[in-house]
Amino acid sequence: MIALRGLTRHFEVGDQTVRALQDVSLEIPEGEYVAIMGPSGSGKSTLLHILGCLDRPTSGEYVLDGREVGSLPEGDLAEVRSHKIGFVFQFFHLVPRLTATANVELPMLLAGLPPVERRERAAQALLAVGLSDRASHRPNQLSGGQRQRVAIARATVMRPSILLADEPTGNLDRASGFEIIELIERMNLAGLTLIVVTHDQDIGQRARRIVRLVDGRIASDVRQEGAAGRGAAPPSPA
Amino acid sequence: MTLREYLAFGLQALRGHRLRSILTLLGMTIGIAAVVLLTALGEGARRYVTNEFMAMGSNLLIVLPGKTETTGSAPIIGGTTSDLTLADAEAIVRRSPRVRALAPLAVGAAKVSFGDRDREVTILGSTAELLPVRRLAVAAGRFLPPSDPERGAPVAVIGRTVQNELFGARNPLGQPVRIGDARFRVVGVMAAKGQQLGIDMDDVVIIPVASCMRLFNQRSLFRMIIEVTANSEIEAAKRDVLRILAERHDDVEDVTVLTQDSVLGAFNRIFTALTLALGGIAAISLTVAGIGIMNVMLVSVSERTSEVGLLKALGAKPRQILLAFLTEAGLLSAAGGLLGIFVGYLGVGALALRFPALPAQPPTWALLASIVVSLGAGLLFGVLPARRAARLDPVTALGSGH
Ligand SMILES: Nc1ncnc2c1ncn2[C@@H]1O[C@H](COP(=O)(O)OP(=O)(O)OP(=O)(O)O)[C@@H](O)[C@H]1O
Ligand SMILES: [Mg+2]
Repeated sequence: MIALRGLTRHFEVGDQTVRALQDVSLEIPEGEYVAIMGPSGSGKSTLLHILGCLDRPTSGEYVLDGREVGSLPEGDLAEVRSHKIGFVFQFFHLVPRLTATANVELPMLLAGLPPVERRERAAQALLAVGLSDRASHRPNQLSGGQRQRVAIARATVMRPSILLADEPTGNLDRASGFEIIELIERMNLAGLTLIVVTHDQDIGQRARRIVRLVDGRIASDVRQEGAAGRGAAPPSPA
Repeated sequence: MTLREYLAFGLQALRGHRLRSILTLLGMTIGIAAVVLLTALGEGARRYVTNEFMAMGSNLLIVLPGKTETTGSAPIIGGTTSDLTLADAEAIVRRSPRVRALAPLAVGAAKVSFGDRDREVTILGSTAELLPVRRLAVAAGRFLPPSDPERGAPVAVIGRTVQNELFGARNPLGQPVRIGDARFRVVGVMAAKGQQLGIDMDDVVIIPVASCMRLFNQRSLFRMIIEVTANSEIEAAKRDVLRILAERHDDVEDVTVLTQDSVLGAFNRIFTALTLALGGIAAISLTVAGIGIMNVMLVSVSERTSEVGLLKALGAKPRQILLAFLTEAGLLSAAGGLLGIFVGYLGVGALALRFPALPAQPPTWALLASIVVSLGAGLLFGVLPARRAARLDPVTALGSGH
């Protein structure tokens, strides 16, 4: 369960202050499927980074599963990222010298899991994204869609409760983009909270809930019936 | 993450830039090899000289004609010199109870011939005392007979090389040889001794000192070698010698007395300084190698900024990033260091093959220092880049490179 209250994020650039997020309050229950949309520069990525504990708010509260995480020290934030959060990026961010398996093993390596368990879980995760036969390939031997699947396997191998995706289809053709979205939607159906930043209306429309940002503020927050993903119970009116 | 996992991760990263890693490693290898080889050279030279001195005998005083300015290093002879004579030698033996034995020494070079063979040879003139004082040994026959040193008997003891060159397989004992214009009878052959302080002791002919001085028309001895009764008596014996000779030379102190220890000490200081200087030169190349590692690591960090961001997004703590990059730097320098020690030892081995007389061996301190320094340099010069990586802001780092 994610709860943001009065969240702001300011960047000091020279003597100017960029207000990337202003007074954002938002609750996202577990298992929710949210699309974050809005024009370029509206603060979507900034919000996602804060949700993923990669960045801290300038002010306001971020409570994750009952714990205030907005002001945790770097080491504790790393712990939260390691166990609760999976990231998928527009540019895949695979380590080029490592095989698909080794890339998927990375978060487990950092978390100190033993080698045998790492290998087993990496194999399972690759199987789940349909890439068992590419386990020992390096990123440059994979197509864009395949790379993004390795990234998804990596993001979910630690069994996080939240998957954050920043333009996951932004670098893919339409067909493979939809395959990727369908893949993570299936994971959402299995209980994973899914938060996707996208420019693409067709992809945004698939989410159960669409949060629109304009100039760092929430302009609208709507639930959609009949969407592809699993919806959580409607948010209680604030 | 365990140490093994850091090592594996670092190794993979280094393999990702194979050429660059090898070149960096090479820098460290050359630096360490230079330390090992150069200090081995210095140390070898020091040992060589020490061994030579020890082989000469112990508790020795060396008396040279002429007053020298002993400033700790090699003697420089100057001023007018009165002769150092056999009578002086005899007076010292008679008057100083601290002198166990005294071997006067005259030196010249002459053509030595037997039948139709001849050879240019160093001629040493001395007495029977030379044998014990210089720790020499006779292989066949006998040494110079103990007799009045003023009497120059026409007998000669020849070195191994002289024997081979002049007599071949024939027995030289009792044979006549011609040295310069005089005739001598061979009474003994020296045991092989090899080079000693620059003189090939196998390529000499030893004759009675008076014969030698007559042969070369010398009025002064080249030097006297005195063996003192005990090590603790060396300084007192030196004073005795100076006093006795001053009395005999009109109260002028016109000789120089070197103690073996002082000469050895001077040589030791010179060679230790030499070793240190060589080590210092090598250390400079080590520093260069260390900076090379830092440079490569800095490039590596800036190249892999987005990887650092990714690792952080995947839950890496700053400490893990720091250790990962430090391991990489440590691997580079440790591998370079080990390789350097190996190459250095190869060099030392080659040196030993080429110059068997030189006991070249890197001093232990140099080995320890090169291991510590190579690892230390890697870590020290790796800290800056690694800290830079660990402190990267994950969001900024992720965004870089696109
Ligand atoms: N590190 C930073 N320093 C200064 N300003 C920043 C920084 N990061 C973001 N901003 C500013 O904050 C605002 C929001 O940026 P953000 O990246 O969140 O937008 P976005 O909605 O993701 O845009 P896009 O759709 O183009 O990705 C922008 O005006 C941006 O310039
Ligand atoms: Mg963005």
